[in-house]
Amino acid sequence: MRSVCRKRCRFSRPVKPSIINRRDVKGRAVSETESDAETDADAELAMPAVSLQAVRKSYEMGGETIHALDGVDLDIERGSYTAVMGPSGSGKSTLMNVVGCLDTPTEGVVEIDGIDVTGLSDAERTRIRGEEIGFVFQTFNLMPQQTARENVELPMTFQGVGREKRRERATDLLEQVGLGNRLDHRPNELSGGQRQRVAIARALANDPAIILADEPTGNLDSETEREILELFEALNAAGNTLLVVTHERSVAEHAERVVHLFDGELERIEEITNRRVAGGEQ
Amino acid sequence: MNLLESVRMSWRAITGHRLRSVLTVLGVVIGVGSVITFVTLGASLQAAVIGDVASSSPEIGVTVGPTGQQGPPGTSSVPVFTEHDIDQLRAIEHVDTVVPRGSVGVSSLVYENQTIAWDSVTATTPAQFDSETFKNGESFEDGTEEAVLNPAAATMFDENISVGDSLTIRLGENRSRTVTVVGVLNASGSGGFGGPPQPAIYVPTDSFYTTTVERPANGEEQRAYPQLTIRAASYDRVADVEPVAENYLVNESDASQLKPTSYEISLLTNDALVDQIQELLGTFTSFITGIAVISLLVGAIGIANMMLVSVTERTREIGIMKAVGATRRDIVQLFLIESVVLGVIGSVLGTLVGLAGGYAVARFLEFPVAFAPEWFAVAVLVGIGVGVIAGIYPAWDAARTDPIDALRHE
Repeated sequence: MRSVCRKRCRFSRPVKPSIINRRDVKGRAVSETESDAETDADAELAMPAVSLQAVRKSYEMGGETIHALDGVDLDIERGSYTAVMGPSGSGKSTLMNVVGCLDTPTEGVVEIDGIDVTGLSDAERTRIRGEEIGFVFQTFNLMPQQTARENVELPMTFQGVGREKRRERATDLLEQVGLGNRLDHRPNELSGGQRQRVAIARALANDPAIILADEPTGNLDSETEREILELFEALNAAGNTLLVVTHERSVAEHAERVVHLFDGELERIEEITNRRVAGGEQ
Repeated sequence: MNLLESVRMSWRAITGHRLRSVLTVLGVVIGVGSVITFVTLGASLQAAVIGDVASSSPEIGVTVGPTGQQGPPGTSSVPVFTEHDIDQLRAIEHVDTVVPRGSVGVSSLVYENQTIAWDSVTATTPAQFDSETFKNGESFEDGTEEAVLNPAAATMFDENISVGDSLTIRLGENRSRTVTVVGVLNASGSGGFGGPPQPAIYVPTDSFYTTTVERPANGEEQRAYPQLTIRAASYDRVADVEPVAENYLVNESDASQLKPTSYEISLLTNDALVDQIQELLGTFTSFITGIAVISLLVGAIGIANMMLVSVTERTREIGIMKAVGATRRDIVQLFLIESVVLGVIGSVLGTLVGLAGGYAVARFLEFPVAFAPEWFAVAVLVGIGVGVIAGIYPAWDAARTDPIDALRHE
């Protein structure tokens, strides 16, 4: 389980044989101050995957300033499994966009894998997004013209990974999400659950620092939902960092902790003591 | 992302919307095709006409006509060039011969009991035929009752006239002469700018041409002709001969005194004729090509339109690509390559269609076909150009798509 360090992983990423050896560190709830102290002592181990500091995102709407995020401080530790809940308009989507480098905060600092992305140019943020973020969407968002394998290859294509390596890793990832026999199927030839598995394999393609899932089971029936959540558990157990936005308490309870947002502010962080488990063996 | 990957993905997008892509390409095919067709046709037409003209030996046509009206030979009808002038011109260095031409008015022609109305026959000397070839027979001799016909004249009657036949020429006032046809020419000569060849009957001047004029210098009556052809020793000598002949004709000749004051004597070399024809055909070709370029423009707009629709339609896909790490440059590259591929396919196919079209029409009009292989290179360049111009805005539009909005787009 614990073998390869983070930095080396980044360079050996495309040929890494299994998601099971994803990370050596499973950061647990560490307060901000402790985290700062530990950064010096053991930077590699203690640095959070994502760190938000006093993040504010404001929009002008009809002459009025609306704070979609109003001073959010949040650390998402390596290897953690975090759910985000909140009513609509609470800033969940904005949080996802900011963490996913799709959007820049109006104020505050966003660090991804220790890199401050707030001041970066569009091209640089795109690069970070490609390398460090894996997206899983409610509507899957697969490229309709491309096969499952090509969809998984896509993030690697944009990173300039060679054709052979891409194919190999995409095949490997699809096998690991249980779609080894669906490599050359197009999205419209796959079921909803299978599509979401392709999307998850795609999110893993560049070995990201964090996987952002926005209502990943919103379009799935309960049985498929269970399968996807089981897959998430396996990913997390393998050391991947997960951030799942959901409005369903039952989905959120699979996570280690739930971040409650309300009106753009971080209302509270709830540690889930009695986690739901989807997988049979866990 | 490397270029090959972009081409592969763009190709996927093109084949993903087959009908739309085919129709878009068709616009460019028609545009490029019509340009190439008309350019081929223009070039073939020029080759045909200029080939005819330039091959007709080192001649200078001499005519007289109203000032400023420099028509081709045949328009002049004032008999101003006297025998004296002809002798003087023959004496110029490098002049091989001078052929006079004049028309003899007739009222009708009779052959094998068939009479047809006719206005004139051409009186000339045997040297007229030095630069021509005979289908049958040979030139007439000076002072004989013989005639040479061009093919158009040989078929004027119900029965075709052949060498050895007799032809009666009625000169009016009940006078008529019977001539023996001794030769039929190979070519009818251009009836002028591709028109149908005019029938021409040639007879010797000595026997038929009676138009005379008093020489201003000594009052002597001499034959006078409205047209001359000065034939230089070789094509290269035309340039030497022309200024000397022009100087003589304009300043010293009988013709310069006999011509109406408002008329001027003009010398027309093949060079000048070739230039004129070229200019005329060039203008014609550019005009038609200009119209064809408009259709190419329409084709380009077609690509731009399709690309814009495609960007709107694929907003979500653009969002996905951006979310998984596609830079603006990647997106621009993808869409630009797509439109360039469409443009290049269109223009290469268009070139083939255009060459086929040009070939077919040139064959139909019986021109020699002039092909230029470098047009394929030009076509590819035009295709790239059309693709880039048509694709640059849609590609830029795609690249600036906000991924957040795009992912929400349905």
